[in-house]
Amino acid sequence: MTAKRILVVDNEQYIQEVAQVCLETVAGWEVLIASSGQECLHQAEAEQPDAILLDVMMPDMDGIATFQKLQENPATKAIPVILLTAKIQSSDRRRYIQMGLTAAIAKPFNPLELAGQVATALGWTLER
Amino acid sequence: MFSNSLGNSCYFVARAIAALKLRFKFMKILVVEDDKLTAEALVATLANQNYTVETVATSEAAWDLTEAFAYDLILLDVTLPKQDGISLCQQLRSHGHQMPILLLTARNSSQDKAIGLDAGADDYVVKPFDPEELAARIRALLRRNQGIAQSVLEWGDLQLDPKSCEVTYRDKPVSLTAKEYALLELFLRNSRRVFSCGAILENLWSFGEIPSDEAVRTHIKGLRQKLKAKGAPPDLIETVYGIGYRLKLGKQQVEKSHPDSKEQRDTETLHSSIQNSLAQISQPTQQQTLALVSKVWYRFKERVGEQVGVLETAISALQQQQLDSELWQQAKQEAHTLAGSLGTFGLSEGSQLARWIEQTLKTESPLSQDEVTYLQEWVSLLRQEVERSTTEDTTQTPIEDEHPLLLIVDRDRPLANQLIAEAPAWGFRAEVAANLTRARDKIHLQPPDIVLLDPAISPTMAESLTLLADLNKQVPPIPAIIFTEHNELTERLEVARLGGRTFLQKSLPLSQVLESINQVLHQADQAKAGVMVVDDDPKLLAIVRSLLEPWGLNITTLADPRQFWETLEATSPRLLILDIEMPQINGIDLCQIVRNDSRWSSLPILFLTAHTDADTVNQVFSVGADDFVSKPIVGPELVTRIINRLERIRFLQNLAETDPLTQVSTRQKAAQELDKLLRLAKRHNQPLCLFVLGLEQFEQAGDRPHHSLTSHSPANEILRQTGELLRRSFEPEDVVARWSEKEFVIGVYGIDKQDGTQRLKNLLNALRQESFADSGMPNSNTPNSNTSKRAAQSLDTSRLTFSAGVAQYPENGDSLNTLYQAANSALL
Repeated sequence: MTAKRILVVDNEQYIQEVAQVCLETVAGWEVLIASSGQECLHQAEAEQPDAILLDVMMPDMDGIATFQKLQENPATKAIPVILLTAKIQSSDRRRYIQMGLTAAIAKPFNPLELAGQVATALGWTLER
Repeated sequence: MFSNSLGNSCYFVARAIAALKLRFKFMKILVVEDDKLTAEALVATLANQNYTVETVATSEAAWDLTEAFAYDLILLDVTLPKQDGISLCQQLRSHGHQMPILLLTARNSSQDKAIGLDAGADDYVVKPFDPEELAARIRALLRRNQGIAQSVLEWGDLQLDPKSCEVTYRDKPVSLTAKEYALLELFLRNSRRVFSCGAILENLWSFGEIPSDEAVRTHIKGLRQKLKAKGAPPDLIETVYGIGYRLKLGKQQVEKSHPDSKEQRDTETLHSSIQNSLAQISQPTQQQTLALVSKVWYRFKERVGEQVGVLETAISALQQQQLDSELWQQAKQEAHTLAGSLGTFGLSEGSQLARWIEQTLKTESPLSQDEVTYLQEWVSLLRQEVERSTTEDTTQTPIEDEHPLLLIVDRDRPLANQLIAEAPAWGFRAEVAANLTRARDKIHLQPPDIVLLDPAISPTMAESLTLLADLNKQVPPIPAIIFTEHNELTERLEVARLGGRTFLQKSLPLSQVLESINQVLHQADQAKAGVMVVDDDPKLLAIVRSLLEPWGLNITTLADPRQFWETLEATSPRLLILDIEMPQINGIDLCQIVRNDSRWSSLPILFLTAHTDADTVNQVFSVGADDFVSKPIVGPELVTRIINRLERIRFLQNLAETDPLTQVSTRQKAAQELDKLLRLAKRHNQPLCLFVLGLEQFEQAGDRPHHSLTSHSPANEILRQTGELLRRSFEPEDVVARWSEKEFVIGVYGIDKQDGTQRLKNLLNALRQESFADSGMPNSNTPNSNTSKRAAQSLDTSRLTFSAGVAQYPENGDSLNTLYQAANSALL
């Protein structure tokens, strides 16, 4: 049994940590952390996580720009990306899917539901 | 709570009125127009159509808003300062925004129209615009986008027609208020979803109105009553305890649950799977997750306080009209972060407040005085919300689980997961912490029974090992096993210095790791000594229990001395505490009875007494007590005396397990341990090597035989040093024993004979190089030396030889006895 590895990208440390706690404790996945879009690109290429959970609103390079860069790089193109965003309406969901994003999860997320939402989006099962 | 002052501001009145409109018409339109007059005219026209309108004057501001909020339509002026409307339109489309965009321009050439439509706009209106034409075009665009929104919504006998705004139950009309209607429509459009009060507020109330959860409950109640009056079941809208509300799934709905649009299907699968996944998560995991989330909150509450502080500073600067763009920008960013995170920590009202603050800060300046006043109130409410939560300890008590808990502090997640998966089979449960902070949180939350620590968890070894010190400070101390890929002596010394005792190599088979954990757990379990306390005063019993239990002692209390014997036999305590004066039977008598029974004659007994006169003390000791503590009890004194007494017992037991001269195990102890290793090897199909090491030329080495090896004899010195070398050469989990006077036996799990032979050769080399002359055997002849020195002088170490043999389970035998014989006959 190999643990799923998921890269959490957010510039705010407590959001990183709370997401990490939720994914680790509920799902038992290994969580990697990046604090910026730039760090995300680097880690995604080096670590090849199974998925990326990406905050939209970040200084310097926002989530959408980061996602586009990930798509441009053949080494990271295939990694599924889930957006963490303040608002999701059906129109957003459609446009996200069209852009190639796997899913979008609304912030603030429910700590008990986050792992389930990620799993559902990726077609994974919660193993615990 | 602001409703009284709402009327003061046109801005808020417009929003409040818009919010009272029916949900299906409640479309959000963003107007991007730099000309103030045109903007006002547009707002008036659109508000008249019951749309919710936001206006901004620049493309940049429009971009910010569209990134943060969802709009149903954008009305976009082509000529704008800096970035023009066409380019914003392109930008929106390239980022995948699909809301209809209606361009607004003074120009009316077909070429301009083509450019605009090519850029992704849906339609074109020429200024000066005709209000009716504009409204019609907007309706057409929205309709195109809405499609499905217009069909009749059904739920069993309940129908809602968005076109006519009619609600019927079994064809009988139900008359609802606007809010009740909107609420029902929300449920019908998301028929499987559970809505929390917060989610309902977010969906049905507009920015600017500040209703409480209570308002939602009131509307739900009203809606239920009206539906019930028409014959609907009272729980058609059912309460999902602790989560919110949803439509109750009747038989009919189960049968015809085929969603009619993909989007709806997606929403439904998503939500139902969340429900499922919530059900999948065990109660303890849920509680643990929430507890850990609250730990994160407590660690970062200062940071959150700072963020609210930025908002406070920004708004007070705003009041003095001194808000610079940098602070404004920062305030927007902080509000955004808070809006997106407070809800996760259970502060959904905080999230809501932060979202309003963010949205207000994002609208184009200048803000009206009323808006600034609102901002100020929201920020102060936000401050209260954040502070309130920091004073409440939301940490939940973890669920009691009788299985011992192993905390794995390791970054190697796959390995940790294997251990977690295997743990239940070994009778314990395991959790993982991927860094030291999380480990400390978890230890604080629920102290584990044992910790498995990889020093590579943090950049420096010293930092990782601070955890060991913390574990030692726990009452009772938590045992730790160092789990490492490295096996360097310096590391081991460092670990030992910091209190780490047991080492495990990461290369070991998983089963062996688990067995070792089990052993240490078992040892710790044994250390949890039972103490039986007999006193007729229940208050005193409670005090003694509360004093001693934190030290890991297992306390049995007895208030009725008549049940003494049964309780003693049933609990087999390691120490007995007796009150002297009790009704029926007094403590002195009890003590005598215990001492007269051979099984209990060595049980340590401690008296509690209010009388410390010489007579009483004498009497206490004469009947066989070991110690006494005077009443009233002084906590630290009692604890110290009891712990000392137990330490002494443990020390005596240790003495029987450790050979005093060589400090390796005694034969008796080793035989038990080897049996255990052998069982383990059998269970897991692993090899086991048994070494026999004898000091062959021993007797000839001295000038006279040392039949009674006194501790100062040179021969003893050789044995002592050999023992020391053996302890250095093997792992703590290996069994090293002094088997007989001149013979050592060593058991090593998991290696085969080939490896074993090599290790034995290395050991013999090391022994040959060992200078046995160090303390007892000076090289010079000193005429006046004492007896032991004389003996040492004559000890010819060159004639000292070792014999050694090795046998492997299962090839050479399957019992301790056969292996021992095989090793002895296969001497190297």
